[in-house]
Amino acid sequence: MGNWRKRKNYLFVGIFLLFLFVPLFLRGYWIRLLTNMFMFAVLAESVNIIAGYCGYLALGNMFFFGLGAYTVAVLMTKFSFPFYCSLLIAGFGASFFAMVVGLPILRLKGQYFLMATVGLLELLREITTNLSLTGGGQGITLPIFPGGASAANYFFYYYMFFLMILSILCTFYISKSHFGFAFRAIKFDEDAASVIGINPTPYKTLAWSISAFFTALTGGGYAYWMTYIDPGEVYQIMPSVKMYLMMVLGGAGTVLGPIAGAFFIELISELVWGKFLELHLLILGLVLVLVVIFTPKGFIDLIHKGLSPSKLLLGIKANKV
Amino acid sequence: MNILLEGKRVTKNFGGLNALRDVNFEIRRGEIFGLIGPNGSGKTTLLNIINGIFPLTGGEIYFEGKRLNDLKPYQITHLGIGRAFQIVRVFEGMTVKENALVGSLFGVKERKSISQAIKEVEEILDFVGLGPKMNYQISEITIADRKRLELARALAMHPKLLLLDEVMAGLNPKEIEGLMEIILTVNKKGVTILIIEHVMKAVMGISHRIMVLHQGKKIAIGSPKEIAEDEEVIKSYLGERFAQRKIQKEEWNN
Repeated sequence: MGNWRKRKNYLFVGIFLLFLFVPLFLRGYWIRLLTNMFMFAVLAESVNIIAGYCGYLALGNMFFFGLGAYTVAVLMTKFSFPFYCSLLIAGFGASFFAMVVGLPILRLKGQYFLMATVGLLELLREITTNLSLTGGGQGITLPIFPGGASAANYFFYYYMFFLMILSILCTFYISKSHFGFAFRAIKFDEDAASVIGINPTPYKTLAWSISAFFTALTGGGYAYWMTYIDPGEVYQIMPSVKMYLMMVLGGAGTVLGPIAGAFFIELISELVWGKFLELHLLILGLVLVLVVIFTPKGFIDLIHKGLSPSKLLLGIKANKV
Repeated sequence: MNILLEGKRVTKNFGGLNALRDVNFEIRRGEIFGLIGPNGSGKTTLLNIINGIFPLTGGEIYFEGKRLNDLKPYQITHLGIGRAFQIVRVFEGMTVKENALVGSLFGVKERKSISQAIKEVEEILDFVGLGPKMNYQISEITIADRKRLELARALAMHPKLLLLDEVMAGLNPKEIEGLMEIILTVNKKGVTILIIEHVMKAVMGISHRIMVLHQGKKIAIGSPKEIAEDEEVIKSYLGERFAQRKIQKEEWNN
């Protein structure tokens, strides 16, 4: 078992190196596919921080994505800010926004909080649609990435890749620190946590601002990558649902679960999509049902329990660590 | 006499229901203070008020001379009040050790490193007898062990006052004896204890003083012996059987 643990680390390093150098051998379509995969991995990881660790189901978390995308778009086109500068403003702006709206709505629990975040998503879409600064319903066209299509492919590939690595490191730090314990205590029983000496408000707000930061950075990168955004596209509920699916599938409240879930779903839907069109949702649903039945804590749980792939194939049940 | 916790005319209404009415009490530093009474007499409500989970309708509570009325639960905890819940509320989905760690990390105001907290927690878990099960998931341990864990988590908070809410309910006689010993040892180390208990043998055996609540009112306060002989307590709580046994005893003596 210890051997497998050691090998697991080699495996991670191997995957890291693979993704670091793989663009040298791939062309447009595959690079864009992987970029998209990394993007969803960051989104799933950021929703994991507030929902997986803290237990607050922010279904409308995509509004930070829209907020980030529009902040970058408006700053770059209307005020001619450089990309990185607008990106930083988008990230910290979204964090601040999470704090401000979090103070009132993080008092809500369970489905009430969930509905409030969906409400915010709808609200922000309506505001963006009716504002002239944001180009209204027609959307905004951003400047094209200098250096041509191929350079843009590489740039956004590494942008999303390193953002993903950053989000993993951040979640890893949280899981090992005081914050992780406080977040999980709040998730399992907020009242008991409070009697044990945890002041829930600052922790919840912090979790949501971190989540907002990464989501907004993803949105900002996405806007520059696509060079065109409109309110209906970036303020959507469906990607939020997908993020949750990825998180639950891989393992909510674990560091690498949501990442694995994102890779899995993106690859499956991409590979199955072309061949079965309508049927691919059915297959996705089936996979989800199987995962929920056999590993309700997500399939990363199997690895945490020290189950090596060979044992998995032989169908040996996970034993205690 | 050195008073640790003092309640003055403590009153709590839930809508039209008087859960507690004008309850006056004081808990002295270093004692084990028993709290008994029938179901629904307001015992757990009183603990929830001390913890700050429920706001008071009337009256005041002081801990070491500091007024608790408007403080939040975590602020009250940081003053030095630890709590083990009646309905076990350990965090499912964490291991035994992690549960106790939460108490150790957040139960006191000062920040400490995780490795330091782990060291403390391992000692405490050994003390309550959970040492060998440290890395178990909550779903893998028995109710008795969960109750022990509740106690361990409360102890990890280094409280001056420990609130124990029916930690012995549902345990077998041997387990009860073990837990009584643990509670006495904790008390000897200088921790004041407020204990709610239905197991009469236990609460009569270890308490220095006992308060009896009935329908939200204090009907008696005194030493275990005084309580056992109090007419009103017998009528409303200890019951006829207990009273008859007492009468039989007196007849025997006569």
